[in-house]
Amino acid sequence: MNMVVPLSSLKPGERGVVVDIRGGPNFRSKLVAVGLTPGVTVQVVESYGYGPIILYVGGTRLAVGKGMASRVFVRKL
Amino acid sequence: MAMRVVALAGNPNVGKTTIFNALTGMRQHVGNWPGVTVEKKEGVFEYNGERFLVVDLPGTYSLTAHSIDELVARNFLLNGKPDVVVNIVDATSILRNLFLTMEIFEMGIKNVVIALNKMDLAEKKGIKIDVKKMGEIMGVPVVPMSAKEGIGLRELKDIIHRVSHGEISPAPIAPRYDPEVEREISHISNILSETELSKRYPLRWLAIKLLQRDDEVMKLVLRYLGEEKLREIMTHIGEAEERYGRAMDLILASQKYEFIDNLMHKFIRYMKSEGPSLTDQLDRLLIHPLYGFMTLALVFYVIFKFVFALGLPLQKILGDAFSSFGTWLAPHISSEVLKGLIVDGIISGVGTVLSFFPLVFLLFLSLSILEDVGYMARVAVLMEKLMRKFGLPGKAIIPLILGLGCNVPAVMATRSLDDEKDRLVAMFINPFIPCSARLSVISFITAAFFTSNHALVAVSIYLIAIVVALLSAKFVSSFLVKVEESPFVIELPEYLIPSWKTVLLHSWERSKEFVKKAGTVILVGSLVIWYLSNYPVPMGEGKSYAERIGMFFEPYMRLMGLDWKAAVSLLFGIIAKENVISTYGILYGSEGALVGVMSTLQAYVLAIVTTLYIPCIATIAAIRMESNWKWAALVTFYMITIASMIGIIIWHVGTALGY
Repeated sequence: MNMVVPLSSLKPGERGVVVDIRGGPNFRSKLVAVGLTPGVTVQVVESYGYGPIILYVGGTRLAVGKGMASRVFVRKL
Repeated sequence: MAMRVVALAGNPNVGKTTIFNALTGMRQHVGNWPGVTVEKKEGVFEYNGERFLVVDLPGTYSLTAHSIDELVARNFLLNGKPDVVVNIVDATSILRNLFLTMEIFEMGIKNVVIALNKMDLAEKKGIKIDVKKMGEIMGVPVVPMSAKEGIGLRELKDIIHRVSHGEISPAPIAPRYDPEVEREISHISNILSETELSKRYPLRWLAIKLLQRDDEVMKLVLRYLGEEKLREIMTHIGEAEERYGRAMDLILASQKYEFIDNLMHKFIRYMKSEGPSLTDQLDRLLIHPLYGFMTLALVFYVIFKFVFALGLPLQKILGDAFSSFGTWLAPHISSEVLKGLIVDGIISGVGTVLSFFPLVFLLFLSLSILEDVGYMARVAVLMEKLMRKFGLPGKAIIPLILGLGCNVPAVMATRSLDDEKDRLVAMFINPFIPCSARLSVISFITAAFFTSNHALVAVSIYLIAIVVALLSAKFVSSFLVKVEESPFVIELPEYLIPSWKTVLLHSWERSKEFVKKAGTVILVGSLVIWYLSNYPVPMGEGKSYAERIGMFFEPYMRLMGLDWKAAVSLLFGIIAKENVISTYGILYGSEGALVGVMSTLQAYVLAIVTTLYIPCIATIAAIRMESNWKWAALVTFYMITIASMIGIIIWHVGTALGY
């Protein structure tokens, strides 16, 4: 069983499966609509100290604020 | 027979605008959806001798009630009764795109056509799609397209035509959920089936939306079922969520994606892709915390130069052309009243309106290139953190920078912001950013009144203006429009070479709209000012209405150490800010005479007040066009208040310090 960690803690190149999104309905629906939903695999492309984290989800490149990414929990692959 | 209505729905960045333009060409109309500042585009195309009305819905990822764009799209699909819905799907990102498709199918809409766009790009990325199979599985016609190359356009029109005539009857596949969720759906549907709602809305859709706790649908159900029944349903949903240990909207979304994933594998194959794409490589530079900002600064510089180095001379040429025309025409009009009205009122007013056209056109050209290339999303990524501190989204940096040139195109640039509230805040503060017309006032005053440190004085004025703008943004977003901290998630589309046809057509339509909509306001404003300065007696003897208004405000102006002549000058500055100095010149005999009658401190206060006091008439017109009269009036009132306060403070502090 792999660890469940916040998405924000993944380093570039690392992948994980989303297990939970913690936040209000508006927050959830926004993530879900762009493809970030429990069950999908995400890969971190870039994560700088400054600014959002860049991900790959289902063929799409997304930028997600660090604060948001810390509320998305993934099982590291 | 009435025209058949075709709605275009799809995610952002799927080439929806390109398809819309390719379908309708020049026969299009840009306006707003009723009651909101969401842009509505309509156009007409002809096929087989029949005319179709195309309505371009806002680009969205889903159809929830969480954003105005989504609500607008959803309400049109529900109530607008389109004959055919064309769902544009990006072939390079099928999974996410089909999520919206499923939302549309779930609404019980039958006549859907999928326009599978960017097929050429998908091929390059090693994505193989069996289009025929996809159509069979989805239950709707699928048209493969590369809209930018014009591929698939004729086929799309043909399919639209045939679906609208019932020659093809699509049977869209609606997503199925696990047995427990399905039980909840039928349970709720049963309760709803006893009401009138069943006649107006698909029950399954209402039930699914209730499971997602959709605000609008809850309100709707409340009206028909009453509070008690609704509470009962919601409690029931709450219990189901307890059992799952997760919110129902997440459960539904996950299962919907799973459903799509299962469908997809029947018609799509992914070949091995060849390493990092060009976009990945470019992004390493363009969103890098150091190189990214350097590139951003360069991009801003280029746009600024492009819009203003090209636009301002053109503006001047057009303005001059109109005034020469006026001068030429004047001797041909015998009646003095008519001469004044036509030459100084109408011709100069129309001249002002049209002279903004090049600026507005060049602005929209740059913006749509940035947008179509895919760079706009990167601007948002780079600036988000900084701009959020002032209650603005990252992209709001663009109107702020443009404001340094001219606030009219800058206010229009707030359109590129996705959220309506963000747009309102951004256009509210924009007029504080000193435009090039105010630069001419600032540099005249610093040169004439200050013996040294010219640059420092000018910079101090700019700093005050920018600080006031940013603090106002914080104030407005916290108290006036209450911007909620919305989660920052943004798609970074593939970099693409823009389609010139789309870009040019888009810019042309927007600029035309400006002339039409802002034109009247500017023209009326010019006529009013012309009247005030010429009646009952032309200005110069202190008897015109303009001068009397100025004298009325003299006590108020005294508070900041200025006289009634300043009030008159500022009144004329409403037409164009550079008028402030020239009006002063008329009132005192010459501009040079100003130095003798004003102290340095008075001049500094005048420069500050001119910078901050009111948006010019063209900017007011632009704000009204992008929002409403109320908002434009509020901005004006707010600016007058702030400018007076700062003017008074600087005058008193300066006097106390012995300047």
